[in-house]
Amino acid sequence: MSLLRVEDLHTHFISRDLDNQIQVAKALNGVSFSLDAGRILGLVGETGAGKSLTATSIMGLLRPPARIMGGRALFQGQDLLAMPDDDLNALRGRDIALVVQSPKSSLDPLSRIGDQLIRIRRAHRGGTASEAREKAIATLGALGIPDPARRMQAWPHELSGGMAQRVLIALALMNEPRLLIADEPTTGLDVTVQAQILDLLRDLVRRTGIAAMIITHDLGVVAHYCDEMAVMYAGAIVESGPVRQVFRRPAHPYTVNLIGATPERLRLGATRTVGGPPPNLKALPPGCPYQDRCPQAGADCTMVPPDVPLGEGHVARCHRVAA
Amino acid sequence: MTAPILEVEGLVKHFDVSRHVKVHAVNGVSFSIREGETLGVVGESGSGKSTIGRSVIRLLSPTGGTIRFRGRDITNLPESACRPLRAEMQMVFQDPWSALNPRIRIGDLIAEPLKLHTRLSAAERRDRAEALAIRVRLTPELLTRFPAELSGGQLQRVCIARAIATSPKLIVLDEPTSSLDLSVRAGILELLAELKAETGAAMMFISHDLGTVKLISDRILVLYLGSVVEYAPTAQVFADAAHPYSQALMSAHLPADPDAVLKRHVLQGEIPSPINLPPGCHFASRCPVAVPRCRIETPRLDAVAGDAEHRAACLRIAEGANRIPALEDAHG
Amino acid sequence: MSATIASPRWVRRIGGISRRSPTLAAGVFIILGFAVMAVLAPWIAPFDPEFAQPRNVLAAPGGAHLMGTDGNGMDVFSRVIAGARWAFGIAIPAVLVGLLAGVPLGLYTGYRGGWFDEIAMRFFDALRVFPSIILALAVVAAAGPSLLNVVLVIGFLDSPVFARVVRAEVLALRHSTFVESAVSAGNPTWRILFVHILPNALQGAMAQTAVRAAWAVRISATLAFLGVGIQPPTPEWGAMIRQGAEYLVTGQWWVGVFPGIALILMVLGLNMLGDGLQDLLDPRRKAATR
Repeated sequence: MSLLRVEDLHTHFISRDLDNQIQVAKALNGVSFSLDAGRILGLVGETGAGKSLTATSIMGLLRPPARIMGGRALFQGQDLLAMPDDDLNALRGRDIALVVQSPKSSLDPLSRIGDQLIRIRRAHRGGTASEAREKAIATLGALGIPDPARRMQAWPHELSGGMAQRVLIALALMNEPRLLIADEPTTGLDVTVQAQILDLLRDLVRRTGIAAMIITHDLGVVAHYCDEMAVMYAGAIVESGPVRQVFRRPAHPYTVNLIGATPERLRLGATRTVGGPPPNLKALPPGCPYQDRCPQAGADCTMVPPDVPLGEGHVARCHRVAA
Repeated sequence: MTAPILEVEGLVKHFDVSRHVKVHAVNGVSFSIREGETLGVVGESGSGKSTIGRSVIRLLSPTGGTIRFRGRDITNLPESACRPLRAEMQMVFQDPWSALNPRIRIGDLIAEPLKLHTRLSAAERRDRAEALAIRVRLTPELLTRFPAELSGGQLQRVCIARAIATSPKLIVLDEPTSSLDLSVRAGILELLAELKAETGAAMMFISHDLGTVKLISDRILVLYLGSVVEYAPTAQVFADAAHPYSQALMSAHLPADPDAVLKRHVLQGEIPSPINLPPGCHFASRCPVAVPRCRIETPRLDAVAGDAEHRAACLRIAEGANRIPALEDAHG
Repeated sequence: MSATIASPRWVRRIGGISRRSPTLAAGVFIILGFAVMAVLAPWIAPFDPEFAQPRNVLAAPGGAHLMGTDGNGMDVFSRVIAGARWAFGIAIPAVLVGLLAGVPLGLYTGYRGGWFDEIAMRFFDALRVFPSIILALAVVAAAGPSLLNVVLVIGFLDSPVFARVVRAEVLALRHSTFVESAVSAGNPTWRILFVHILPNALQGAMAQTAVRAAWAVRISATLAFLGVGIQPPTPEWGAMIRQGAEYLVTGQWWVGVFPGIALILMVLGLNMLGDGLQDLLDPRRKAATR
């Protein structure tokens, strides 16, 4: 059984504009995927595709005007979306941990990092302060932070970006989670530091057998650090499968375009059309959301596209893909 | 060999934080850009790459060194004397959402440099703006819109149209694609490559994204804490970087291809503060091949193996000890 | 829902704005009411506001005189209506004077910086800690209580507020990318200031205008109440309240209370309008409600 299984998740933003009209932005339109223990899933897509929203929806961190309109998110068989708030609170930070983007603004500026680590441990697992302290030092050490006992005394503002990101991962790991969700864990960090953080994450998954989901727009990160990938467009997963499979034989026209736009594949001077405006989530066409940008679109694309299995877990949601 | 459009000699720029505290952003940087050439400037945050770009077109006044544009010393020109020069050197900024005045229509934004630097009539300017918009692949309907109504990619095209309006000899591009999505980024790169071939304008392409730089640059300047560590033709830097920092930087780049084999060089140690730079080589604190001498002597940007086109600033090169050992990638 | 879809766009826009900022809607409603009153005063007032009926002084509200008559036998209702004209007549030009003096000053000090900025800001600080009403009193008492003097004094006392708001915006904009981009395009300083910075720096000042108008109405009424502003028998609310204060002790409350209510309502309306505008124009708040 999968550790996390998301089925047909729909999230909409419902608000009123200045003309008093109700505006519905369909931000997630049937997101489904599953993640097994010991695996790393890369969730990729461009701005507005719904990557981060998928994570915040699953974790019950949505605020109005965002609202979940349907679907299930089964974590170890329990539906997170139907769970009472208290149960979900107990789960979050303990069994499911989230590492968010901007590390600097995610640490409490008024507590030493050691206190923050000890606090999160005791909030979920209880125990004595000295036990939690030992655990904190061990976690920092495991993340390659030199002289962890001394680092416990540091204030968040004293940390460099890479160090702050490591502390954030340490916070996430303090309660030995079963699932780690990292939202753009290396965006804004220098490349030489990025590699270190990602190495850490991968070693952690390999060593402890937890599952991780990395949300990123960087296909290089997915190519080298993920086992499976899921490509999002306009709030839906248009293609998913093992990383090598998808890179070698991308099936959905959007994935083909996206992978073709990476500097490694891009050939300047060769004529091709790429890009185009991002989809308007307030007025998505019926059927495939990619139809107005798709070079292969036809009349049948106004119908809901099927999920076509391509073998070894490789799936593309498109009318043009033959199984 | 064509004459350089831009020659920078020993450029220094310090920022005063308070009376006694200075940030040493750029510390004696020298390079040149030839006519029609694209120079890629790479480095991580704090390397001084944006400061160099802004100094070159005199948005900033250098603390020291000289900048020559088409043979003329412009290092200390007052702003009023720089103004006519701005027709010949233009800049494109990183964040297109904030680089355009939100209250001016797209057409007027594109035509602004023409208004400032030419004697064209309003009607002629409008025609030129429309031609420029079409050139950068914007539909002319957009000319009457305001910036807030356009997407990031469209806005960056507007910025590029503005930058090429007066047919400049040099365009400084400061991370022009970093804030854009992958597919939009590709379109902008294609456009820049076309313009480069068409107009023959020299470009200074500043970026932290090695994949992009590799694609568009003829030569590359690698910066670390405000100093040049390596300066060479693009292919040479990627295939055979001489400076240990360049090697680590190139190896940390993740190509979007799962089959590419990574040769990883892991760096340890802390980056020194640009307020208190240590003597000697600034990279010594993180360098796997540093020796005590590196912390005393400042390395010069010398030719590597007698090749004047390939220069690097490392004391260990002469000893043949500049290669840092690679970790083979475990998951390959 | 279907009802709102069928209604015309402007009706929907009013609905949408009221939903987002009820304060703004209430403020607009009150101020529009006073504006209609001011414009139509000669037609809706039953009497000439300065028409004295010596044989009908201090008549209680009711009958022909809805709000009674004052000590000169003038109709209080007509005078309250006419007072709206005086309130707008002082507030609007005073705010304009404040804008005209304050905005260029804020633009210049913000862009230029240095010692000039330093001196100007310290001067504004000094002006701010000094009670403005005493300053206004002194100047109007010395220069004479004409309408023009009152407007000029209130306007100049207002100008530091506008200068500060504009200066703060200019300071932020001066280092913004689009200004940098304008410099790199070759714009001369005057174009940077007036084409690129000023239009983007005015929003804060504009949001302040209603609040400053409320202040102008209050100060002008205070001056008149203290006897140094607009003089009776002119139907100015402050002057009327001063006159009515004498009769409060003898039981003829209507002479002072009705202009007082009008004054409170107008100041309240302008303040609500100002707060509402700030809410609506503040990008942070906008992002939060989006």
